[in-house]
Amino acid sequence: MNFVWTSVMLVGMGLLLINNVEVTMDTLLAGGSKAISLCIKLWGIYTLWLGILKIVEHTGLDKKISKILRPIIKLLFGKVDEYTENQIAINITSNLFGMGNASTPSGINAIAGLDNKKSKYATSAMIMVIILNSTSMQLIPTTVIGLRVSAGSVSPSDIIIPTFLATVCSTVVGIILVKLFSKIFKDK
Amino acid sequence: MSKYLLPTLIILLLLYSLIKRNNTYNSFVIGAKSSFDLVLTSFPYIATIFIAVEIFNVSGLSYLFADFVAPFFENIGIPKELSQLVILKNFTGCGSLALLENIFQTYGPDSYLARAGCCIAGCSEAIFYVTAIYFSQTKVTKFRYAIIVGILANLAGSIVSCLICKII
Repeated sequence: MNFVWTSVMLVGMGLLLINNVEVTMDTLLAGGSKAISLCIKLWGIYTLWLGILKIVEHTGLDKKISKILRPIIKLLFGKVDEYTENQIAINITSNLFGMGNASTPSGINAIAGLDNKKSKYATSAMIMVIILNSTSMQLIPTTVIGLRVSAGSVSPSDIIIPTFLATVCSTVVGIILVKLFSKIFKDK
Repeated sequence: MSKYLLPTLIILLLLYSLIKRNNTYNSFVIGAKSSFDLVLTSFPYIATIFIAVEIFNVSGLSYLFADFVAPFFENIGIPKELSQLVILKNFTGCGSLALLENIFQTYGPDSYLARAGCCIAGCSEAIFYVTAIYFSQTKVTKFRYAIIVGILANLAGSIVSCLICKII
């Protein structure tokens, strides 16, 4: 992360210095402002879904979901404690329903549950959470369909099946790669 | 059809909570309370990523990089017009949607490039962004193979997108 970030910043700013120095500071500041407006939007989304998530927890529904998903969780993550297992179960479920940002809070809780608060190295279980969420199942890619409608497409929902197949493929490849890498590089 | 899914699920949950005699209002408030901490701790990570993404785009580095990898992408079945999208999508979801709109305008929303682009944009999320936010609540600073696996999985999704859209 450090390497990628620093190289993008150095090379990018170097290019701007040569080609278009006037916009450099504006660009840097624009990044910060855009992050704030996204965070305000996310704050609203998180408020709703964390509220809903607590209801799920207090009604004991999370335990029921994780009981159903236990074999899958065990296969993907190995042994985890009960709280983390429930969070992972909710996370997988919300990803399956294509809730997008709604799955972020439970995913973050799951990672925090897997963390031992001491090590600075990510474990393979944590990386599995990251990969599952980044290659997230999007059953119906609503935003993209919306864009197609406004661009005047004759059949905007054409892309649903191909997108679904591509998602399944990226998820499967992701899971296999994490399993493979976790064999080669043991957790520290 | 899909627009009914989430509202229905939420209604079912509220009803379930009612049957279980749970204090639904209280539960929601307790959950909502933690949103402040979550946003506050993830903000610096989001901002740091966003600044780099802005620089990446505005400086033209994203074009240069896309040009650089385009020959390799063509070999694995990704058209060169889409190489920028495949790269940018690892950094930012919003940015790749803007790029997608450009593709719609240039080639038409029902062209092969536009359809393949939609699948590429829709099949996964920005790995750098996801990694930064998800680890924001921990002391973890060494992400090990998370990023590289994410990029490879994205690439696999992109290849399949281009392949399927060619057949259908």
